[in-house]
Amino acid sequence: MRPNLIGSADSTADLPSAIAPARTDSAALHAPLRSVQRMPHTCSPNELWAGLQLSGLEPVQGLEELATRAQRFTPRVSLVPPDGLLLEVAGSLHLFGGLSGLRTELIGECRHLQIRPVLAFAPTPLAALTAARAGEEPIVSDRAQLVGLLAALPISALRWPEETRARLARAGVRTIGAALRLPRAGFARRFGVAQLATLDALTGRAREVRATHRAPLRFRRRHELECEVSDHDRLRAALEPLLAALGVFLTTHQRGVAELECRLVHRSVPATCCRLILAAPCADAQQLGALLRERLDSLQLPEPVRAFELRADQLLPQRSPRRGLWQPGEQGGEAREESEGLIDRLCARLGPGAVHGLALRAEHRPESAWLATTPPPIIASSRVAVPRANSVNGTPLAARPLWLLPDPQPLASQDGLPRRRGALRLMSEPERIETGWWDGGEVARDYYVALDRHGVRLWIFRERESPHRWFLQGLFG
Amino acid sequence: MVVGDPKITRLLEHPAIWRGRSAAQRVGLSTGFAALDEHLPDKGWPRTGLIEILVTRFGSGELPLLMPALAALTSAAAARWCVWVAPPLLPFAPALVSCGVVLDRIAVVDGALPRQDAGVRRGPGMWALEQTLGSGACDAVLGWVRQSKPREIRRLQLAAERGRTLGVLFRPQRAARDSSAAVLRLSLEPLVAGVRLTLLKGRSAHRGVLELSWPGS
Repeated sequence: MRPNLIGSADSTADLPSAIAPARTDSAALHAPLRSVQRMPHTCSPNELWAGLQLSGLEPVQGLEELATRAQRFTPRVSLVPPDGLLLEVAGSLHLFGGLSGLRTELIGECRHLQIRPVLAFAPTPLAALTAARAGEEPIVSDRAQLVGLLAALPISALRWPEETRARLARAGVRTIGAALRLPRAGFARRFGVAQLATLDALTGRAREVRATHRAPLRFRRRHELECEVSDHDRLRAALEPLLAALGVFLTTHQRGVAELECRLVHRSVPATCCRLILAAPCADAQQLGALLRERLDSLQLPEPVRAFELRADQLLPQRSPRRGLWQPGEQGGEAREESEGLIDRLCARLGPGAVHGLALRAEHRPESAWLATTPPPIIASSRVAVPRANSVNGTPLAARPLWLLPDPQPLASQDGLPRRRGALRLMSEPERIETGWWDGGEVARDYYVALDRHGVRLWIFRERESPHRWFLQGLFG
Repeated sequence: MVVGDPKITRLLEHPAIWRGRSAAQRVGLSTGFAALDEHLPDKGWPRTGLIEILVTRFGSGELPLLMPALAALTSAAAARWCVWVAPPLLPFAPALVSCGVVLDRIAVVDGALPRQDAGVRRGPGMWALEQTLGSGACDAVLGWVRQSKPREIRRLQLAAERGRTLGVLFRPQRAARDSSAAVLRLSLEPLVAGVRLTLLKGRSAHRGVLELSWPGS
């Protein structure tokens, strides 16, 4: 989400807003305010703000979700984290049957998300919020009555810093009304210019600019088919207009998708969902289409398809494509795009996780001495060659096979010696691996290199515990 | 401009141009075995194109034969990937590291397929191999193929040239009878501490049998 932030918050005031003085009669007001002179053109004296103080809120997501839902009442919705929400509703009152109708609907919206709101209406945003924070639910639409409403509210509802509040309390100021009665110049000197600006914003003496919440960008498009389709070729053709729309959308918004979902809607059974997860954000509709077609081809459809839905909920800023002078693999040319494209194609067809990288683990048990990782993208680097790790402190490591069996395979034995399509010849001294007694995966094994009848070198072990079975665990390749 | 002109000579070094005489001038990728380098047409493995290694049974020494070359490829500064497509067993990372292979540059495409893909007409191994070879993201691609048609091998060879990749295909010995578009074909038999190698096909290569022994044994 990107708020179209116009100003930044003053550090001392608990207000994520910019406060611009409307009148310049007080000299003390000018200097330290980091304000913006740009006024929203919609700002008019006949505003009515709904302030919501919310409790029972999930962190940020809950607030954002409510803000997105509240945009059906008005386009001017502002977040006041952590628990406040402001709506400018003057223009939309008549659409919801007046104040009471709007109020009922707004509370219903909150109930839907299991949020308990305190809802106050006032002509300035800060007054509405402050009243709600004080637990009051007034409805004041006339600016003349505003000061009367504010006068009774406790000063703590403004959420000023602790130190300022303590100083105000020492001066005997406990309500906003008492604070408003103090001389302006003296107030600014004793309690800070930011606090005076807050009071001005509260009473509407200064205009307040609030960042409007914008719902996160997402792409959702549905395409109804003219008839029910079960043929893959026709499905692909029907997907084309949706993909073209997605391509235009991504280009105009300069975004790329990291995850694309295609839902195929059927008549009676639930929709088939085809999800595409990409290795890197992609803005190329052609490429997305090719990947999606790979997935669709391998899809078993339970019923003919009636409609398509293409969804991309997470849109990431698209980095501009870079083209190197060199070809990949040549003179240090990067093959990053090629490698990401390759992963995407393989995963689209063979399923997620079809490609993995390898890594070492410090572990003596051979079956857990390696890890499957996500393959790193190819970035040209002036790396120094990694020294060969075939010796530790000068002692050479024992031979390890290039191939490992996923599970050790039991071998037949005769007179205590292993057999596999004939007797095996042991070629090495035993290497004992005895570890893992602390984590339940205890092994106690003697490993040998063995040669079978055909000259294939094997890595076998004998369990140290009775009945001393033999197992094959690896091949030297 | 005459044939001896350095500009023309430079142009003619392009891997897509093949001339009878130029075969010996190209520099291949050293195999790590001096005797084998002498034997091979480019004084090493070709850097681009498909080679086939035919073995009587899996594990006859085909992988140790490639290890020095893979170590050199993966530890180069501008290394691309080395992809293993559908290997029959797990490549064991500690052994690869002790051979000098840089694990960052290794990627493995699993051979096991999800059930829904059972209906795909062509084998997944072949498809994945062709995609990987032609992608241009790899220096080397290792593939294990049980059954293949000459046409498919030809497609793989073309993909390898498109992606400027060395493709290594491991096939059973019985495939020696089939024709193949690979630039180099070798057949392997295991020895006690080495391997016996027969060159079946290669551009201006020396035919013959060669015995190699593993270093350190």
